[in-house]
Amino acid sequence: MTLHIYGIGSPSGDDQAGWLVVDALEALGVASGADVVIAKLDRPGAGLVARLDAAGHAILIDAMQSGAPPGTLHRFDPADGPLPAADLSSHGFGVFAALALAQALGRLPPRVEVIGIEIAQAAPGDAVSPPVRSAAAKLARQIAATLAG
Amino acid sequence: MTDKRSVAIHVPVLARVEGEGALDLAIEDGDITELRLRIFEPPRFFEKFLEGRHYTEIPDLVARICGICPVAYQLTAASALEKLYGVALSPWSRAMRRVFYCGEWIQSHSLHIHLLAAPDFFGCGNAIELAKQAPDEVRRGLRLQALGNELMDLFGARSVHPVGVRIGGFHAAPSPARVAALRDRLEAALPEARALVRWAAAIPLPADDQDFISVALRQPAGYAIERGDIAASDGLLIEPEAYGTHFTERHEPHSTALFSSYRGQPYLVGPLARLNLNADRLPDAVRALLDDIGFVLPSRNMFHSLTARAVEILLALTEALRLLADYRVPDSPWAPVTPRAGVATGATEAPRGLLWHRYEMDGAGRVVRARIVPPTSQNQARIEEDLRRSLAAFGLDRPDDALRLHCEKVIRNYDPCISCATHFLRLTVRR
Repeated sequence: MTLHIYGIGSPSGDDQAGWLVVDALEALGVASGADVVIAKLDRPGAGLVARLDAAGHAILIDAMQSGAPPGTLHRFDPADGPLPAADLSSHGFGVFAALALAQALGRLPPRVEVIGIEIAQAAPGDAVSPPVRSAAAKLARQIAATLAG
Repeated sequence: MTDKRSVAIHVPVLARVEGEGALDLAIEDGDITELRLRIFEPPRFFEKFLEGRHYTEIPDLVARICGICPVAYQLTAASALEKLYGVALSPWSRAMRRVFYCGEWIQSHSLHIHLLAAPDFFGCGNAIELAKQAPDEVRRGLRLQALGNELMDLFGARSVHPVGVRIGGFHAAPSPARVAALRDRLEAALPEARALVRWAAAIPLPADDQDFISVALRQPAGYAIERGDIAASDGLLIEPEAYGTHFTERHEPHSTALFSSYRGQPYLVGPLARLNLNADRLPDAVRALLDDIGFVLPSRNMFHSLTARAVEILLALTEALRLLADYRVPDSPWAPVTPRAGVATGATEAPRGLLWHRYEMDGAGRVVRARIVPPTSQNQARIEEDLRRSLAAFGLDRPDDALRLHCEKVIRNYDPCISCATHFLRLTVRR
């Protein structure tokens, strides 16, 4: 069963959180191969649907803002209920919209985990804030440990 | 007796368009008293950012204007500057620029048809509802979109804000092995694109018959994409340098995008305008399919825009395959460039229509002044005109929800890219 791990982000400040998790996983020896696809994605929009088509298990890591303290992890499983897809434009086509579209097409991978990392700021040119950096490293260690187990 | 109520419809944020805009509609005693397409996304000042920048930076700067059509901005700027600097692009660069552009057309048109426009014609509120009704077609659309992205990635190193273009050609040439692998997939997608054209042409569309001027680039041979002269359906044919003497832009208080007019009239740019003017320039295989499905051009039905996009996807795939057939890696993917002072003008066909750039450059290769006229601002006056005519034909006495949906359908025909146009939709109807 192919595992797809995607860190989703942009170069702006804490929005790099998903990318940091991929960097940390790669540093821990997780690499794309016959059974694993690991990649950093920059706002993939509906393109995520085609990417997930071949996945048996998908782990998607993205930055999130809910008002919780920066570095807080949020976990979503589409099996738990309907996904919060909002109005769709291609500019605003987010991860949940892509998953809802894959679900409507009957192409959602059997197992999907969406992990949000609460961020503080996402200003262009800014560095990643310490709590987000440490949450990304911790999450990478957790994922790597699950894979090794 | 007809109900002559007064209606006010306000669509505060238009869904399934790119960027932020709104529509205000007021109907009093059965007449439209106010109709405004408001583009309120803040101005982005790109023309000002470009001042003082070196010519080598321009392709990467203008790519940031749009996440959907960066290639259009890059290649319009590049063609303008290459003309000013007297750069003779190699046959390889010319051909690969067109392939790169075809990738963007395939990507942008597939996205618009399947995610933004088609749900309107199946009674669906969004692409997710459409995906439940027509899963095979939506998946096909997503495959085509992905293929377009890969073509962009092939030459641009990435599909969003690609970085492969330089003045004089490309920074690098893709390997023959990568091109061969993609060519096989383009070949395999041809039947899918033909099926898409047949599917699009079979969608029951509203009847609509409007008189409008089509404006698009035209070439002596071949379907104009990355270069050409500016043609209009009244017979105008001018070089891009003469744009300013025939077309004018004006500011309207309700919009942050400029309104364009031609001889004082609104005009249409985009896929339907292109097909209306250039049907005789389509490859034979594409023409044969249009004859077979009975798609008659020129068309005065703006709802044919969706079919036009499907036709242009097939055209772009066909062109990309033709141009990649004998692919080889050139000695150099770029030609040397020597800057000089002067005015650089370029025009190409972005997925949404004619895109025109003008740069005043100094002798050191720096921008003194820049002017960029995107397709959506050119279509803005035409959209308002279309809404007035289309609503009158649809019936102003219809319920608010029906009026609102009809307005949105009309607007989405134009695939407005509000982010590109702002220097743009939320509907307010008052009756």
